[in-house]
Amino acid sequence: MSGGEHDFGAFVAARGTSLLRMAYLACGDQAEAEDVLQTALERTYRNLHRVRHDDGLEPYVRRVIINTAISRARRRAIIRIVPMHSPPETSARTSDADLRHVLMEALRTLPSRQRAVIVLRYWEDLSETQTAEVLGCAVGTVKSQASKATAKLRSVLGRDTVEGVIRNAHI
Amino acid sequence: MPTFDEEIRRLMADETARLQAAPDLLERVMRSSRSNRRRAWTAAVAASVAVIVAAPVAYLSIGSVTTNGEQATLSTQPTLSAAVPEPPPIDDISPLPSDPPNLGDLGDGKEFGHVKAGYLPEGLRWSHRSEDSGESYSTSYNYQGDKNGFYCVQIRVYEDTAVQQVDDWIQEYREKADGEQVDIGDRTGYLVVQNVGEDGMDGDPTLFLKMGDRQWAEIKFSPIYAKEFPAAEAVNSELKKIGQGLTSTI
Repeated sequence: MSGGEHDFGAFVAARGTSLLRMAYLACGDQAEAEDVLQTALERTYRNLHRVRHDDGLEPYVRRVIINTAISRARRRAIIRIVPMHSPPETSARTSDADLRHVLMEALRTLPSRQRAVIVLRYWEDLSETQTAEVLGCAVGTVKSQASKATAKLRSVLGRDTVEGVIRNAHI
Repeated sequence: MPTFDEEIRRLMADETARLQAAPDLLERVMRSSRSNRRRAWTAAVAASVAVIVAAPVAYLSIGSVTTNGEQATLSTQPTLSAAVPEPPPIDDISPLPSDPPNLGDLGDGKEFGHVKAGYLPEGLRWSHRSEDSGESYSTSYNYQGDKNGFYCVQIRVYEDTAVQQVDDWIQEYREKADGEQVDIGDRTGYLVVQNVGEDGMDGDPTLFLKMGDRQWAEIKFSPIYAKEFPAAEAVNSELKKIGQGLTSTI
């Protein structure tokens, strides 16, 4: 095994799970997330000589995952219209697990790029500037996309519902 | 009480906590990548063997007045067949490049490796940057003509087994209905904006150009340079011009 392959193997071992979780949030589906992650790693492996110009493997892989997820979501959108979900009926005693389900459903209803912004900002904890770099857009675009996405999440989830569930979860 | 943002983060963490990367993830990635390389290697070997078998083997008859080409071909069959069927152990296949050497002083930078650039957009000069990974090599052009300048146009050439990579990429783009096939004179190419590049998701307008059976060129604009053109059509037009002027010296 060459030095490059060894480094790549160490990277996958160390960061594979974290990347899978990000892919899951970006895709909204575990099987697709696993597929996207493997695809992203294969492309990265084939392009290691290009990655050298970047800061490291992780930003590159992250970018491939996000781009692949967006690309797949757009392709799916071409062949079928994803129905917008109605705000879920949630009782005041909704469990934390239910709330996670509501969140995932809400994420799935977001346009792919808005979902990517949410994942990068909230999950990867990237700054607006870093998020803009990953998505190849202006910081202002990230701000507007994040604002729209957050508003939709609040709307679909229902701030009152969320806060009610949060209270219940902490009782 | 946690804020909305904090709760979103917590819910994401809870939702994904059960997920673990498959233990064989690395193995699957490597196996898939290696099978691609092995496929390319096998194809290249098969092609080269076909050339060898078809070629005259008069050189074998030197020193033997009774041996003609046909006999020599037969006599070499065991050697050939022993060399052909099995690819070498995977670790013997050319390793991934690490800190590849450059192509040296290319003068005006228009002729490098086995290609020659006949046209470059106005004002661009050789960046004095190049990379030689053997079966793939590249150089770039910018306004400053020095290594510190941001590249405007990059040309990467893929040869022999490396062309399989290009085939794979184009196949992926086709499957995604991304990009379009184009004709560049009597050659074929594929125009696409590659989303994943060093410069982020704006993408690199790219022309993949088939220079021959064993040679492809990837002509790429940096996203920043592409913005200097009024529209994508103008970028594509320039890419095609560079492609038209790019000739193989093999």
